[in-house]
Amino acid sequence: MSDSGANLWPIIIVAGVLTSFIVVGLINKSREGSDYLFAGRYIGRIGGGAAIASNWMSAASFLGMAGLIYLKGYFALAYVIGWTGGYVLLLVLMAGQIRRFGKYTAPDFVGERYGSSTARIISAVVSIGISLIYIIAQLKGIGMIFGWLFGLDYSRGLLLGAGAIISYVVVAGMLGVARNQQMQYFVLIVSFIVPLMYLAHSLGYFWLLPQFGYGVAIQDLAREFQVNLSAPFANGTLFQWVALCFTLMVGTAGLPHVLSRFYIVPNVRDARWSVAWGLFFIALIYWSAPAYAVFARLMEASAGMPEPSASARQMADIIVIRSAVMGQVPVWMVGILAAGATCAAFFTSAGLLITGASSFSHDIYYRVLNPHASEGSKMAVAKGATLVLAAIATLCAMKPPGMIAEITATAFALAGNTIFPAFLLGIWWGRANGNGVVAGMLTGMVLTFAEPLFGRIFPLAATIFPLTSSALCGAPIVILVIIIVSMLTPPPPEAMRQFLAREVHGRLERS
Amino acid sequence: MQHHEEMYEVNPFKPKEGSMVDELAVIVAILVGWGLLNFGFQALLSLLAESATGDGMLTRLTFLSFPFHFWFTGQFLPLWFVVLCVIFNLYTDRVTERHSHRRDRTYE
Repeated sequence: MSDSGANLWPIIIVAGVLTSFIVVGLINKSREGSDYLFAGRYIGRIGGGAAIASNWMSAASFLGMAGLIYLKGYFALAYVIGWTGGYVLLLVLMAGQIRRFGKYTAPDFVGERYGSSTARIISAVVSIGISLIYIIAQLKGIGMIFGWLFGLDYSRGLLLGAGAIISYVVVAGMLGVARNQQMQYFVLIVSFIVPLMYLAHSLGYFWLLPQFGYGVAIQDLAREFQVNLSAPFANGTLFQWVALCFTLMVGTAGLPHVLSRFYIVPNVRDARWSVAWGLFFIALIYWSAPAYAVFARLMEASAGMPEPSASARQMADIIVIRSAVMGQVPVWMVGILAAGATCAAFFTSAGLLITGASSFSHDIYYRVLNPHASEGSKMAVAKGATLVLAAIATLCAMKPPGMIAEITATAFALAGNTIFPAFLLGIWWGRANGNGVVAGMLTGMVLTFAEPLFGRIFPLAATIFPLTSSALCGAPIVILVIIIVSMLTPPPPEAMRQFLAREVHGRLERS
Repeated sequence: MQHHEEMYEVNPFKPKEGSMVDELAVIVAILVGWGLLNFGFQALLSLLAESATGDGMLTRLTFLSFPFHFWFTGQFLPLWFVVLCVIFNLYTDRVTERHSHRRDRTYE
């Protein structure tokens, strides 16, 4: 597919959509003068929900999820469930309390709550690590899309895409482009659903709500081609399914760039409701993703390929776009789909590059290395860190270690094993202290990478802590470590314990 | 004695009377609904499996022309999560309002 030459119309549409974001961002900026990271003005609960959803949607949701369902059928639904069910945990266990606590970045919360600069540094390192892994997955998506758009091989597509992201970050930073997340969600949902409707229509399935009409296609696949995409344990055991699903859930509730969303809403009640709306907007896309995978398998099976060939497996991560091409969706509509996928990957990477870099300049450089640094030198460090982070991610993405969704899942495992327990106990147990959280987060880092670290020597480690699914066993162990070490060492400062009791748990809402 | 001045230490197993008891009750209820329907259903699938790939009663049933288990996991569960969030929010809204009406100091 990549050698079919450049796709002119899709290139024009993708470029047009990205440019329009910059233009709208500039108009917004002159009207609001809002902050670059957390676009300012109050936008209501539904708007807040759209912002949560577009902040969330990355190449993993837009491309990777369908790719894994295409290869693994029912097993990959663990991603659909994990990435929606995690919001329930986030809402009931943390959203309101984080809003009342008043610290929104992971290092700020951990540093403040536990009164420990070691804990702050560790959570900054973990946050940067999560950003880095996440960006690698996005870059794989961008590399594949750009490769397809321009008819280049993967590595050239990757370099072109990485170059585009860095230029965007630089230009947006210089001009102060505001991020319009409502518009972004609108682009994502339209670009994902409209081609799917066309595809369902041309294949002769219920097209008005294609996300609910592809059931017949699953049965046709099984009846006519003996392809059973829905077999529950064909690609993994019950333990593997549950471990993956649980890991993605706790990872969602511990992902730094998701936790920081509660900053933009003015009160606890709106924070809670915007999570519910955000989850609904996310579900709209997740209900649809499996349909792309099923239609792709059906079209391939009709063309005499019931099992994906080796080359089709290679391209599984852009199955959403490939299925539109296979289904002869009009080229401009494929362009819109590609634009949606590019936006999802592009803005997620840009956002994470900035967060990762500012975490380095603020939490590590300013707080630890050079407390007397001026604003100017902090900015310079942040800019340098952006470039270094982008370079490392591009280098790692040259030989992607797995599917987009799998790479992303590793970032979730890291978050679920470190930041989730730190927030959970930080909020819900006044006695948890700095020593406990430092020991716990270090344990969590080791457990996340137990498979590559010890898997060869102790095969059991690879079974219990699979790289993408380590938090089912990992998070409870980390929680235990925090509890035990906290009990053995002195309690945290009295002021913090009183603050927790009076402010964070003292009332349900602040009027 | 300074009985009422005694410092409360946040601990979900020893909740403070008032707001925290109500808050924990709804959290536990939601988490049970969250865990049972999701992990419970996967366990049920595994219990009813008749082959290594897990085909069984629930996979032969169809609903809205989907194999039932596929519909349940792929479509119903995300909807269920949205419903749980809405229930949690409505309940918390109501409790907050009721207690601020009563001028219960713990809800201020």
